[in-house]
Amino acid sequence: MSDDRIRLHALRQSTVGHTAIGLWRHPDSRAHQYRDLSFWLETARILERGRFDALFVADALGPLEVYEGRVDAALRDGIQTPTDDPLLTISAMAAATEHLGFAVTVSSTYERPYQFARKMTTLDHLTQGRIGWNIVTSALDSAARNLGLERQIPHDERYVIAEEFMEVVYKLWEGSWEDDAVVRDVAAGVFADPARVHPIAHEGTHYKVPGIALSEPSAQRTPVLYQAGTSPAGKAFAARHAEGVFLSTYDPAMARGLVEDVRARAAAAGRDPASLKFLSIVTVIVAEDDGTAQAKYEDYRRYASLEGALARYSALMHIDLSQLDPDVPLEYVETDGIRGMVEVFTRMDPTRTWTPRAIAEFVGVGGGGPVLVGSPATVADGLERWIEESGVDGFNVADPVPPVTLRDFVDLVVPELQRRGRVWTEYEGATLRERFHGVGQARVRDDHPAAGYRAVPAGR
Amino acid sequence: MTGRRPLVFGAFTGVGLPNHGPGLWWHPDAGRIDHNDLSAWQELARSLERARFDLLFLADAVGSYDVYRGSRDQTIRDAIGLPSNDPSVLISALAASTEQLGLAFTSATLQEHPFNLARKLSTLDHFTRGRVGWNIVTSYAENASRNFGLDGLRDHDERYLQAEEYVEVTYRLWEDSWEDDAVLRDGERRIWADPARVHPIEHHGRWYDVAGPHLPDPSPQRTPLLFQAGSSEAGRAFAARHAEGVFLIAFDPAGAERHVRDVRRRAVAAGRRADDLLFLQGLWFVVGSTEEEARRREGELLEWVSLEGVLADLSGKLGIDLAGIELDRPLGDLQVAGVQGIVESLRASRPDGGGTFRDLVLHLLSARVVGTPEQIADELERWRAAGIDGINVMDVPAHGAFHDFAEHVAPVLRERGLMQREYRPGTLREKLFGRGPRLPETHPARAGARSRREVVA
Repeated sequence: MSDDRIRLHALRQSTVGHTAIGLWRHPDSRAHQYRDLSFWLETARILERGRFDALFVADALGPLEVYEGRVDAALRDGIQTPTDDPLLTISAMAAATEHLGFAVTVSSTYERPYQFARKMTTLDHLTQGRIGWNIVTSALDSAARNLGLERQIPHDERYVIAEEFMEVVYKLWEGSWEDDAVVRDVAAGVFADPARVHPIAHEGTHYKVPGIALSEPSAQRTPVLYQAGTSPAGKAFAARHAEGVFLSTYDPAMARGLVEDVRARAAAAGRDPASLKFLSIVTVIVAEDDGTAQAKYEDYRRYASLEGALARYSALMHIDLSQLDPDVPLEYVETDGIRGMVEVFTRMDPTRTWTPRAIAEFVGVGGGGPVLVGSPATVADGLERWIEESGVDGFNVADPVPPVTLRDFVDLVVPELQRRGRVWTEYEGATLRERFHGVGQARVRDDHPAAGYRAVPAGR
Repeated sequence: MTGRRPLVFGAFTGVGLPNHGPGLWWHPDAGRIDHNDLSAWQELARSLERARFDLLFLADAVGSYDVYRGSRDQTIRDAIGLPSNDPSVLISALAASTEQLGLAFTSATLQEHPFNLARKLSTLDHFTRGRVGWNIVTSYAENASRNFGLDGLRDHDERYLQAEEYVEVTYRLWEDSWEDDAVLRDGERRIWADPARVHPIEHHGRWYDVAGPHLPDPSPQRTPLLFQAGSSEAGRAFAARHAEGVFLIAFDPAGAERHVRDVRRRAVAAGRRADDLLFLQGLWFVVGSTEEEARRREGELLEWVSLEGVLADLSGKLGIDLAGIELDRPLGDLQVAGVQGIVESLRASRPDGGGTFRDLVLHLLSARVVGTPEQIADELERWRAAGIDGINVMDVPAHGAFHDFAEHVAPVLRERGLMQREYRPGTLREKLFGRGPRLPETHPARAGARSRREVVA
C-alpha cells in the first residue's frame, strides 16, 4: 500500500524573530517567551495533540550583520539575536510528551565530533529515540569570528570538512559499542564487556579521534538526519546523508526540481530515493471561514518589518541589500552565503525577477515560503495541491505568531486533513526514524552510508 | 551556634553509573540506576528538592580511563565513568520538574569553545530562572585530549593558563556584552533591542579570538554560579580568583581547615572577600539506627567494592599505572600529570610526609561518615568547625545514598540547624549567599568589566 499521508514538522527557532520579522509586535504573539521553558512545553504538547512527527528547532551561531555592515537592524527586530541554544530545551519537552520527535540544527563547522556525538546519544537516550539532527555548515562570518576564525571557511571546503565530520560521528554512533556490549551481569560484576567496545581509531585530514564512544548505544544510534542545503554541494551532501530534506522555496515547480534532483543523486549513491522525505516550508493562516482568515492575514501583515526582512535575507545570501537600489532586480552572484537562497531570488525561476523591495514585501509573513490563507477546507486543498505539484512528502509548518499559528493549524487544519485520511490519527512506532521508514526501522537503513560503519561483532 | 547559616548540601553524581565506589552499582541498596531514563532523573531531582538539598551536582569527564594495565578493560567492566552521558542536555528536564533546586554541572575547558559554552549556560540560566551552576575543570585525562584532536595532555600549569583565558572570554560575554536595559521590547517604536547597548567583546588572546556580541540576552544570574574543584597549587590559585563554590575531598577536618584557610587567604589577596567563597566537602554516609548496625552495613558495602576498579579509577585520575605498585610505599615527592590535587590533599592531612600509595587508593572510600544520624550530625559539626560551609553527598552506593540521607539523616540535621528547612528566595546565587543575583563587585568578572569600562571612558 502506498502511503500518501502528509508528514508534518513544525518550525521554530529559539529567538524572537525567525521567519516572520516584526510580528513579535502583534498583541497575540508570545515570541518573547522563547526564554521560558513552559512556552516550549506548551508548544510540544500542542504539536503532539496534532500528531506532528517532530518539532524542528533551527539555529544560527552568529548575529546577522551583513545588512548595513552591522548588527543594528537584527537587534532592533530581534532577528535571530538574541538567541538561546536549541539543544537545551529538548529534555524538558521530551519529559512533557511521549511521541513527538525533535529535530535540531547543529553546525558541524563549530562542534567537535567527539563531544557532539555524545550529546546526541544522550538526547537519544533521554527521548527514547526521538532525536533528529539538521546538519548545517555555518554560513555566517559573524559566527566564524566568534569561534576563532578570521572569516568563515569557504563554501565548498565546509562541505568537505562536513563529510569527514559525518564519518567520525557514524563511527562513534554505529561502530564503537556492539549491541550486546552492555551485559550488566550482577553475578559476575561486569557492567560491559570490553571485547565488544571498540576504539574508532579515526585519523583523517581534519579530525583525529582514536577513542571509544563515551555513551552506550541508544535506540536509534544515529539520530534521524536532516539537511537543507540546496547548492550543488549541499544537494550532493543531502543525497548521501539526509533522511529528511527541508525545502524553503515559495514555488511548487521549483520544489519539484529540487526533489527530483536530490532523489536522482541519492539513487546514484545507492540509496532508495523514496527513503528521502522532503519537507517544504509553509505558513498557514487559518480561521473558520475564508473571509476571517484573510482579515487575520491582513492584520498580521501590518506588523511585518520590511527592513527586518532585508536584514535577514542580506545575511542569508551574503549580499548587503541596503547597498542596492530597492527597485533594481537582483542578479546571481557567487557568495559564501546560502547559495541556494541566492538562486531562489535570481535565476531559479526564469519567468520572474526580484528587487530588494519585492523580496522584503514577499517574505513579510511567510518568510520566503508559500502562505496559505483560508478556511480549513481551503487550506487543506492548498496543501494537497502543493504536494501534488511539488512531489514533496510533507511540510515544515512555520509559526509567525507563536504559538497561535501552530495552535490554529492543529485545531483547524489537522482535523480536516484527518477527515481526508491525509495525516496520521495515531502515532505509529516508538522512535522518530520509524515514522520515516516504518515500524521496526529504528536504526539507519542498510543503504545509508552510516550502516557501513556498524561494528563487526567480536568473535563471530 | 544560633544564628549560623545551615550547611549547604549538594548531591554529587554524574550522568552515568555512580561516580564513586567502583563495583557498588550492583549493591542491593544502590537503588534504581537507569542513567538513560529521563523520568528517573526527574524523580531524583524532585526527591532532592523535597529534602531541601541546595543543589544537584552532575560531575563529568570527557575521557575514558585507559591507564591501568595500559588498557580500558577494567574501566568498561566496572563502568567507571563509562558509559558517560552529557549532563548539559539533561538540565532543562530537571528545571521543569523542580522549582528551587540548584543545578550544576561540569564542563571542561577542553570540550566546548567558550563562545558556545557561554551561550549554553545563559540559555540554561534563562530556563532555570537563575538556578544553574558551572563547575570549571581543565580536563586531566590524556585520552580525552586525544579524542579532541590534541596529540596528548597539555602541561598541568599550561592547562590552567588556558583556563584563565577561557573564563575571561565567558565573563566578557556574560557581563560586558548586553547592558541590563538593552532589551526594550518597544512595539510602538518597533525596537526589540537597542543596538547602542549591545557590545562586541573583540577578545583576541593566545588561545581564543571571539568578536561577540553574546547571542543570548542577559539571564537572571548573568554569570552562572561558579564552582571549581582544583586542589593543586595552580588549582587553588584559580579557585581563589574565580570560584564561588569550591569542591574538595579532604582526608580529614584538619586537612580541610588548612585547605580552606589557604584558599580564603589567596582570595583576599586577590581582592575578594573571604565569604565570597563557599567550601563543600565531599563525603559519603553509612547510616544505622545504632552504631553497630551502621558498622555492619559499612562492612557489607566495602565487600562489594571492586578493588581493581578502584585502582583503575585512580590510575586514570593520576595518570600513573598503579598495577603492581607496592601500596605501602611512601609517596615521597610524587609528581603526577593528572589530578595533582589528590596528592596535595593527602599531603595536607599528613604534613609529616607519612602518606602512602595505600592512603591514596583509599582516598575516596575513606571520605565516609558511619554511624547513627546523631553521630553523623556530630561529625558534620566538626567539619563545619574546620571552616567547611557545605557537604557534597556522594552517590555511594548509587542514588540510594541520597534517599537514605534524606530519610534518616536530614531530619536530625534540620533539628540541629545544620540543614535548611526552607529555600531562600531567588536565584541559586541568592539562595547560597543571601546577596544579589549577580556576581559581587569583588569578583574578577565584575572588576574586569569595571576596568574595561574605565578604559573606554
